[in-house]
Amino acid sequence: MIDQKAFIELKIRKRPWFIWILRAVWLIWVLFWLEATVGSWKEMETRAFVISLIIFLVSLIAGILLWLWGYLRFKKANT
Amino acid sequence: MNRRDFCKFGLGGTGLVMGTGLNSGVKQPPSNRIGRISRHPWWVKNIDEPKLPIDDKVYSRFNSSRSVFGSFDKYYGMENLRELRQRSQEKTRQYYKEDRPGYRLEDRALADAAWVISRQGGLNRGTRSWTRQFVTTPERRGVEKYNRNPMEASQLIKSAARYFGAATAGIAILDRRHIHSYERGKPIVFEAVDEPYENEKKLVIPDKCKYAIGLSVQMSLDNLQCSPTAISSAGSSMGYSRCEFLVAGLAEFIRGLGYMAIPSVNDLGSSVAIAVDAGLGELGRTNRLITPEFGPAVRLCKVLTDLPLALDKPIDFGLLEFCKICKRCADACPSQCLSFDDEPSFQVKGEWNNSGHKAWFEDAPKCFAYWQESTSGCSICIPVCPWSKKDKTMIHEMVKAASAKIPALDRFFFAMDEAFGYGKQKSAQKWWFLDLPEYGIDTTQGKG
Repeated sequence: MIDQKAFIELKIRKRPWFIWILRAVWLIWVLFWLEATVGSWKEMETRAFVISLIIFLVSLIAGILLWLWGYLRFKKANT
Repeated sequence: MNRRDFCKFGLGGTGLVMGTGLNSGVKQPPSNRIGRISRHPWWVKNIDEPKLPIDDKVYSRFNSSRSVFGSFDKYYGMENLRELRQRSQEKTRQYYKEDRPGYRLEDRALADAAWVISRQGGLNRGTRSWTRQFVTTPERRGVEKYNRNPMEASQLIKSAARYFGAATAGIAILDRRHIHSYERGKPIVFEAVDEPYENEKKLVIPDKCKYAIGLSVQMSLDNLQCSPTAISSAGSSMGYSRCEFLVAGLAEFIRGLGYMAIPSVNDLGSSVAIAVDAGLGELGRTNRLITPEFGPAVRLCKVLTDLPLALDKPIDFGLLEFCKICKRCADACPSQCLSFDDEPSFQVKGEWNNSGHKAWFEDAPKCFAYWQESTSGCSICIPVCPWSKKDKTMIHEMVKAASAKIPALDRFFFAMDEAFGYGKQKSAQKWWFLDLPEYGIDTTQGKG
């Protein structure tokens, strides 16, 4: 008869497989708007520059916050 | 969906899209464009006939005296014209007094000075001479004239055209109906002669002159965006001067190969019709050419020749569908001379239009009157066009490609173009402080 208490239960929490795809999509999105921002500046299109810059910054900050939130949640769950 | 399914779907989808693309490529008529010279972006399709049809029973040669430049007094009325000129002079003085940017002495001097090369030529005059200027012919060199195959000759011509300043070049069979019936009161006739000539009675083009080389020259968008001021006029006049140099150089080059060449800018025939046939662009709502690379921000010119050349085909990049919903040029036009109709038609607006082809015809006298009214011409319809873009960011290329392939998105792209503030007038005062490239144009634009 096996003593149940002799075993330790390990729960392995893996990141979902699609997280890398989401990260790649986010990176491409952010780089796209960065390029649009720089390009609009070169083209001297003020309004296009401001809109592109806002989209770029919001996407960048939102992405970083989301990543941080996910990271903290993941860390908490593993401790 | 698990990862395996996702990969299957993704790869399958990609394969499907690529397959469709390749397949559609095979279905297209093969392009005669050679090498990199004048090759359009991948999303431009070659077609057999221009999208806007010609009615063969009606379309005929146009008498240039009917154009708005030739008969403005008749269309506008002598009395109205006198008043208009007076108003224009008063306004000019008033603008000087106000020291209005774009209408100052330096602005007007720039616009006038940029014409300087253009003024050296005219129909069969100066730089647009129909006969050899100074180039040494093969005969004088004691060699045979150039006799390689038409494909090679086309490559040569397009390379030379680019070297002389062409943004794009295309070749079509000369449709004689595009040639004016009269110029300067003389009939233009085709005869079985060896060289083109002019006498007191007529202008003669040799029968053997079968090819038309359509050429476009970039205009500075930085200038045009200041429209309607003298700074934007300088953009147009510089375009004309560069056309002059281009056709003069290219014609002499062809003569140097041992063939005849007739250089022409706005004279002799319709550069727009030839450019459409030669696949440089499509006819837009302005009833002018719109190119995939530069939008309407180009000047057109042409060279007629008997040098056997490989032909290009008309193109389709979804412009017709886009123009149907956009109408921004018509909206922005201060003289309201452009059509707001949803569809192009055969119905002309007046004698100044050549009938027999489908188009959005313009009320040209209204346009020309506004040129006087503004005191320095007008080209607002050019920079406001969503196809007039510099290519410093890839978003423009992506939007153009998507518009060409998925016309259903045109309305969305038009709305976005408005939201992003494109097409707004720029400061003529600031133009003087821009660090502009040579001739104010980016010669790398549209070259991939």
